Amino acid sequence: MDSLKARYIASLEIELEPERYELFSDATWRFSPTRREVLGRLGAGVLFVFTAPVPARASAEAKDALSTRFHISPTNVVTLLTGKVELGQGARTLLTRAAAEELRLPPERVLITMGDTGLVPDDGGTWASLTTPETLPAVRRAAAALRELLIDTAAKLWGAPRESVRIEGGAFVSGPHRRDFGQMAELRAVMSGIPAGAPLTPPSEWRFLGQPAGQADGWSCVTGEKQFTADLPAAGMLHGAVVRPRAHTARLVEADSEEAGRMPGVRIVREGDFLGVTALEPAAARRAARSIKAKWDETPLPDFAAMLEGFRKGARAPVPPKPGVRYPALVTKGDAAAALSGAPFRHESTYSLRPIAHTALEPRAAIAEWSKVNGQDFLTVRGGTQAPFAVRLELAEAFRLAPERVRVIAADCGGAFGGKQRGEVFLEAARLARDAGKPVRLVWSREEELTVAYSRPAGVIDVKSGFNPQGQLLAWEFHNYNSGAAGLPMHYDVEASWCGFHAAPAPLRQGSYRSLAAVANTFARESHMEEVAARLELDPVEFRLRNTVDARLREVMEKAAALGGWQGRRGKALGFAANIEKDARLALCVEAAVDPAARTARLVRAVMVFDPGAVLNPDHLKNQIEGAILQGLGGALFEEIRWEGTAFVSRRLTSYRVPRFQDSPKVEVHLIDRRTVEPAGAGESPITVVAPAIASAIFHSTGKRLRSLPLERAWRELPA
Amino acid sequence: MAEYRIVLNGSERRWEAPGGLSLLDLIRDYAGLTGAKYGCGEGQCGACTVLMNGRAVSACITPAEAAQGAEVNTIEGLAKGGRIHPVQQAFLERSALQCGFCTPGMIMGAVALLASTPEPSEEQVRKGMAKHICRCGAYPRIVEAIQLAGRLQREARRG
Ligand code: FES
Ligand code: FES
Repeated sequence: MDSLKARYIASLEIELEPERYELFSDATWRFSPTRREVLGRLGAGVLFVFTAPVPARASAEAKDALSTRFHISPTNVVTLLTGKVELGQGARTLLTRAAAEELRLPPERVLITMGDTGLVPDDGGTWASLTTPETLPAVRRAAAALRELLIDTAAKLWGAPRESVRIEGGAFVSGPHRRDFGQMAELRAVMSGIPAGAPLTPPSEWRFLGQPAGQADGWSCVTGEKQFTADLPAAGMLHGAVVRPRAHTARLVEADSEEAGRMPGVRIVREGDFLGVTALEPAAARRAARSIKAKWDETPLPDFAAMLEGFRKGARAPVPPKPGVRYPALVTKGDAAAALSGAPFRHESTYSLRPIAHTALEPRAAIAEWSKVNGQDFLTVRGGTQAPFAVRLELAEAFRLAPERVRVIAADCGGAFGGKQRGEVFLEAARLARDAGKPVRLVWSREEELTVAYSRPAGVIDVKSGFNPQGQLLAWEFHNYNSGAAGLPMHYDVEASWCGFHAAPAPLRQGSYRSLAAVANTFARESHMEEVAARLELDPVEFRLRNTVDARLREVMEKAAALGGWQGRRGKALGFAANIEKDARLALCVEAAVDPAARTARLVRAVMVFDPGAVLNPDHLKNQIEGAILQGLGGALFEEIRWEGTAFVSRRLTSYRVPRFQDSPKVEVHLIDRRTVEPAGAGESPITVVAPAIASAIFHSTGKRLRSLPLERAWRELPA
Repeated sequence: MAEYRIVLNGSERRWEAPGGLSLLDLIRDYAGLTGAKYGCGEGQCGACTVLMNGRAVSACITPAEAAQGAEVNTIEGLAKGGRIHPVQQAFLERSALQCGFCTPGMIMGAVALLASTPEPSEEQVRKGMAKHICRCGAYPRIVEAIQLAGRLQREARRG
């Protein structure tokens, strides 16, 4: 098991950003050892096993395993199996349509089973915008292979030429012959060998991909039928609640649970610092937990300035990356130090950002159940998670079970944004259920979401650049402390650069957040570019263009400036930012309403030009981009976790403000669709340009350069 | 133990349950209707919005006692005779959602808004929906959907 975990982590190190602190840290809980099989779950039918279509970058575990991708029942139901999960980002719709495209079936004829570790292949976590660039091609290849296999089988069965077999109206036909998918699959005895390299449907023949599509589960959302973890039927289930310290970090000293112990049906579970209850109803569990008087030994938290100081002091120098690492912590080109000292002009600036909370509207929740399989403990946990296979390992470790004895069934998430990658609530529900001997559901409160969950890391970034009077960048030096390596590399044209991420010990629980450190790094890079432009008295868009060779990046910048009215911006608070992130090119021109007396700003209009390569579902992509802009403006302007002494003081939605209707600007999204370029995932990258664009708007209208997020806080702290 | 009586989606219902429950507890844990969601428990997000005597309320901060005898309508009772409500239809048409967690509460809030303001301006929608949060950020689409729903309702009335 340990070697499995080690392999899993090693694969993540190649695949993922190093600032996914939550994945690389120890299990939330480690419980004492307890004292005390799979295909049938899909029902009759044929399971199609593919060895080839596992994505190249899949975890080692997935590569070793056979990947089961499709199930066809005798009643003609085709089910796609994937380890990806639905978070609201549209994976269900996209993957279903990709399979339908290759199988020549209407999308509503393809069902999908997602994120059940007992049934589906490990497609890696639903993170890093990898569903589109990795899982989608894997699904298409498997679907195409299945199609070709069934066509071969039909041709043999009917003694017909292969070219005469077509898929029409959901069935295989040739001359007088006709058999639907279910009837074909029944013939598995006849089938042999999955054809290698089955041809994918070219973009020019796409019927479903590349078309706007409503959400596959839209109907169940608007009728209220869509079930999240807290909505699943509760029959036979107990309900849990966990007693928490007010402090961010604390050890349990003693607990007086006498009153709770007298409540009917209440059980109290204590192990180490874990203290929880179960009861017959959710309200009763909450009441029991509240009645427990616990004493905690609390760890004080440093204030923000001291925290940043700590990052610098504790920083580990970035080391050259292992080969193949996707998000290296060190990216260098030429001799940056020499280029810097040789440059006619130099500019230095420092940026920082405070921690923020994901605040998915659905709080974390899980339902755990212990059973015996072949006389041995078997743990099944259902819940909203982005990473069912990682959570399975975490549960296995916490309860010292072999991973095969744990099944995680991912439920749909009511938003995640990088926040649902740890197994905290799964572990807690499982611990309570082990005690109760019955299934237990645990649903976190909003306060737990805001205080117990991990947050987006704080960080501080130092930037130095060298340039000449003609507006040409000559040198670039970039140090990120603690916040991360995503979005670190310099994509403007410069002869010599040094970009490094310094990891450091941090006092807060911290981890992945939509687009990771690319928000912080893009904020610093774009802001610095604007500062240099201002020193040179150059138009900041013009200055960026002078230092950009990438033609696609130039195009999005020029288009955003034109559509956003950059030329005629006099008298308006316009701002600009651009980026290359996760292979997408994007530029954002914003207009803000700025109130210098109150030191506040509101986004009025946002014009995004976005080039992800091929556009697979345009309306859906726009929805994602709009959402990222809306979420991004919160972290840019006002979101921040605040703390005093040992504890967070932002514990509720009244004290942790997220964007609302009145914060919402007019959003215009323009897509550049390049059918021949591999599509980039796009759930994350649009968020990166929001903060620098708003900072730019504030600067151009007030002359104030704000270098810390959230901007309104930085503005308030500026001397008058 | 207390007795709770409400007219839920048109039918009279009665429960024996512990005192001190919120209307949201009653609807979800006793009536078994899970369309209304818990998002904050403090009246700040609108995920739990239901109609009480025609007015939108946050069920999480409404004591179940305060709903005694009231008419309570939830998302589950909105579709009539197998046909979805114009607000539901408009949310679908505009894809005014991502994860769908806020959607039932949003839709109930919109139904109440349109009852008092059948033809809302963009600003009126923003104000009227101020207490609802969509963390996925579908706000621009939700504004459009609510305005579209207003048009659909007016057309339906004109027949
Ligand atoms: S759950 Fe009632 S307003 Fe948030
Ligand atoms: S759609 Fe996810 S919170 Fe609104």
